[in-house]
Amino acid sequence: MPVLQLPADVADVLRSFYTCEVTTVNRQGQPMTWPTLTYFDEPNGQMFFAVSIAFPVKAQNARRHPQVSLLYSDPTGSQLADPPAVLVQGEAVVADVLDLFEPRWTALTRLATQRQPDSSAFTSNKIARRLFDWYLFKRIGITVTPTRILVWPGRDFSRTPQIVEVAHVEQ
Amino acid sequence: MWNSKLAARIKDYSSAVLTVVDETTGYPMSVRCIPQMDATREVFTIPDAPPFAAGWRGKACLLFHTHNERLEGLRQLVVKGELTEENGVLALKVSEFVTANGRSDTDAMPHASAPLHLLQFLLLGRRKARAYLAKRGAPWPPIPYAEVDRALAEDARKK
Repeated sequence: MPVLQLPADVADVLRSFYTCEVTTVNRQGQPMTWPTLTYFDEPNGQMFFAVSIAFPVKAQNARRHPQVSLLYSDPTGSQLADPPAVLVQGEAVVADVLDLFEPRWTALTRLATQRQPDSSAFTSNKIARRLFDWYLFKRIGITVTPTRILVWPGRDFSRTPQIVEVAHVEQ
Repeated sequence: MWNSKLAARIKDYSSAVLTVVDETTGYPMSVRCIPQMDATREVFTIPDAPPFAAGWRGKACLLFHTHNERLEGLRQLVVKGELTEENGVLALKVSEFVTANGRSDTDAMPHASAPLHLLQFLLLGRRKARAYLAKRGAPWPPIPYAEVDRALAEDARKK
């Protein structure tokens, strides 16, 4: 049984949307939102993503201000029929160094290759890999544990969102 | 500060993601909406704002982004500002345009089809990574390329 109990259509969105819009909050209280490829770690009921050390702002913000959000509102490529939009608010934990053999990172890189098939020519090129080591390998992992989930059926934001109780089931 | 070149790119987008921070909980809140740009006043208005966002005020941002079904054609741009209300309509007074590519003239992400842009991004990334490591005060662990290769080969075999 998954740790996080979610309606099937919401879980589908978290699994299938190519990107979500991740927001962190900087020192000045300014929200910054960027599209991000995330992995839904279903066994642990968490979302996982990683940022390059060259562009560490999300990680630095989340260390100071762990309350973050992930909006899943763009279904392009997901092949889901009329999915809802989903806003996940949660607490972020930021690692110091990404373990390249961590199963969640392996799963995320696999997802990236599936969703962006043209990237494999780049990532399999040994020279490109060395030149872009700061982008491909020198990364900081960020794990988000949901605390509140809002859902807009049909991605209709003119409606009042439904609140999904975040029930973490102990295993 | 208003950026006319980046503002011109926004005309291609049909919607954007509006975000503020809930001052009570500290959590960010986002909705997708259809902003209208007023370049003369350097403001984005949101006439049909989602009801969920009706009372939002304060520091906010609008994210414009797009990709195709192969996760190519990536473009992304954030507009920062102060969210206020003008005659019953939400309005973002712009303070800054921010790109993720280190450039102030385009929101297109680097791609092999634009080698000069990719080279500029490479140099930018290496410079910023060096700065991060200098501030961190400790080197990054060596990349185990042989193990990475083995893992990639194993993955390819499983396909």
